[in-house]
Amino acid sequence: MTDIRKTIVVTSVGVVSPYGIGLDCLQAGMLSGQCCLAPTNDLYPGFEGTTAQVQANISKLPLPAQGFNSRHSRTDRLAVLAAQDAVANFAGERPAFRESGVVMASTVAGLTEIDPGIAQDPAAWYRHGGLSRAATYPVAHVADAVGEHLGLRGPRCAVSVACASGAMAIALAANLLLDQAAPMILAGGSDAICPFTLSGFNSLQAMDPDPCRPFDRNRKGLNLGEGSAVLVLETLAGAAARHAKVLAVLRGWAMTNDAFHPTAPHQQGNGLADCMRRAMEMAEVGCDDIGYVNAHGTGTPLNDIAEANAYETAFRGRSRPIPVSSTKSYFGHCLGAAGALEAAITITAVCRGALFPTLRLTDPIESPGVDWLRGEVRRQPLPLAMSVSAGFGGSNTALIFGSVRS
Amino acid sequence: MTPLMTPTLPAANISITGIGSVSPYGPLAGLIPPELIAQSPLQPSAITAWTTAGLWRAFLVKPFRPVSVVPGLKTRRLDRLSAWALVASTLAIQDAGIDLSQVDRSRVAVVFATGFGCVELTASFYQSAFANGWSGTDPSTFPETLANSPASHVSLFHGLRGPNITVGSKSFAAESALIQAASLLRHRQADLAIVLAGDTLTQAVYEWYEAANLLSPACFNSEPLPEDCGFVPSEGVTALVLEPAGRQQARPYAYYRAGRWASGGQPVEIVRQMLGESASSLTICAGNGAPCATSPIIALAREIAGRAAVVVPPQAVAAGLADTGALLHLLLALSSRPGSGPALLLGASLGTSGDRGFAALLLELP
Repeated sequence: MTDIRKTIVVTSVGVVSPYGIGLDCLQAGMLSGQCCLAPTNDLYPGFEGTTAQVQANISKLPLPAQGFNSRHSRTDRLAVLAAQDAVANFAGERPAFRESGVVMASTVAGLTEIDPGIAQDPAAWYRHGGLSRAATYPVAHVADAVGEHLGLRGPRCAVSVACASGAMAIALAANLLLDQAAPMILAGGSDAICPFTLSGFNSLQAMDPDPCRPFDRNRKGLNLGEGSAVLVLETLAGAAARHAKVLAVLRGWAMTNDAFHPTAPHQQGNGLADCMRRAMEMAEVGCDDIGYVNAHGTGTPLNDIAEANAYETAFRGRSRPIPVSSTKSYFGHCLGAAGALEAAITITAVCRGALFPTLRLTDPIESPGVDWLRGEVRRQPLPLAMSVSAGFGGSNTALIFGSVRS
Repeated sequence: MTPLMTPTLPAANISITGIGSVSPYGPLAGLIPPELIAQSPLQPSAITAWTTAGLWRAFLVKPFRPVSVVPGLKTRRLDRLSAWALVASTLAIQDAGIDLSQVDRSRVAVVFATGFGCVELTASFYQSAFANGWSGTDPSTFPETLANSPASHVSLFHGLRGPNITVGSKSFAAESALIQAASLLRHRQADLAIVLAGDTLTQAVYEWYEAANLLSPACFNSEPLPEDCGFVPSEGVTALVLEPAGRQQARPYAYYRAGRWASGGQPVEIVRQMLGESASSLTICAGNGAPCATSPIIALAREIAGRAAVVVPPQAVAAGLADTGALLHLLLALSSRPGSGPALLLGASLGTSGDRGFAALLLELP
């Protein structure tokens, strides 16, 4: 029998992406097959002639309604805009909403506001306007920006686990709800493009000079994107009490670590496979029950082959290949926001029965257990779908979302 | 719809069985020896790592060779935060008497709290960008600038394949990590958890505190005034081992009962609700998560538990860690041997309206 106090549901999703603000915008853009990756024409000086030119930027970012100043970074702005979008329909429910918690992920946070001058003479850099900008550096600042902007009084926490951050924020928020730490939690991730990360990935030679081709044999690397997604999570009991519309059920979640290498994933994807299996165990479903996997799929040679191996392991015994796609092919890798944006896309897939293909996937990695989605959007009923994320340091997260009827 | 059917572990069955620390007291396994804390409080030392405009002081970790504490440990490419996390976690595991070769390491979690993350290498990366331009930065440094690097190194070194989580929370990052680690155990997402909290002090961090006017006159060798609300920055990493109670050979330092943290609301009411029957006979370890060594936390403690409560006052060396000081507060409080019974680890940020909050962890001391 269902214990509605222990069933975690998603009642709203807010998104800021290169398609614009709102989940509808994201859905419409992706359903039309629009790719947001494009050469930036030296938007960030210092990267001329490098592989970091192709990105998915958000060019016109509005200011949140009020209370924004130099103590907020671009990452904060993205997060607050997504959170505002998520709670846009909550206007009449403020008293219960006030006790909500916030779990926000980021890897970049306030690095968007800092430049190399800080390393030469910090005191002088602070005197010349850097003091408030540096205050945005701690990752906790992103969660505080959301909490303070919406006037929330529950626990606030930031998660920074490289590219698994956004998904992990959702998993940790679900744990907090099970512990009754707050009546509802706004959970997600936010990251903006900045020279620091462009430079880092460029130095690692991990970037594709053209729009990326996840899971293709000819893939060359990733492209960076930016954005934010915030999910409103609560128990089914809480949602029922306030007559909220349930978008999806978070049926299972799991977190693991490869414990293999500081940056490279385990070649066989053992940690990621274990993570997916644990999420299925929590959801009490078998590998035949999952209808779609939204992959991490960065487009780097090492990640994609490890991930394909992980699917072979996690879905071994399945009666037919598991449909998999990487939606990073639409708007790049949004780092700490990626897992949250991909959770939003997975929820969309469940709600609309729409499985998004990987763009530019012409010659897929050979992986007999995987049905690589490419070409047109596939339409089919989708009771259960999984979103997986992995990051530097070996962290993995898997989330399983189900339709309300699941 | 399917509920989450796995039965949860009662919070009362979670115990803290191992402690390791790298702090201004040095690298230590277990409690801090009485001779180190019984005499006069630890004094801040002069900063020599960079050129200062006079005598500037802080609670600093004296340089040591990690390999002299943990044989075989390779830290040449790591920043101090990662190296200290490795040392502190190893000491905590040793202190708990756990042989990891006998443990299912896919069920061991690492939860790390940090305020500033790998700020040393972030500064180093900026220096390389300043010197060589953005297209000439060092590829080996970039991945190590990520805030989760220390926790990743802990998992890698010990072969721990369970959840690996790095969190930040203004004023309460350490409390948040402890609560979330306990949650992993409760919901059987892990069988054992290594909880770490800490930060390193760098020139950029210290000078930010100074420019923001947050420092105590004691940092500059002046006598602090009674109403002084500044603090002396500190550094270090403290690690705890959390596990379900009942393992033979385990020597619990404390049992974890419950935890709450919030950004507002009514701290007294919420904490009393959490305490239940325990409120009448309570030891309060009054930590101070916020960078303010004289915050009214003792008044809050009295308001929660009355005049009869034993209050272990905040310690400047832990308060100087700002967001991540709570585990060092707990270590200092346990080292002062406060007696048995219920204990509350309390942290509060009671500043301006936008800066309010509290964290409270209810423990049982054996």
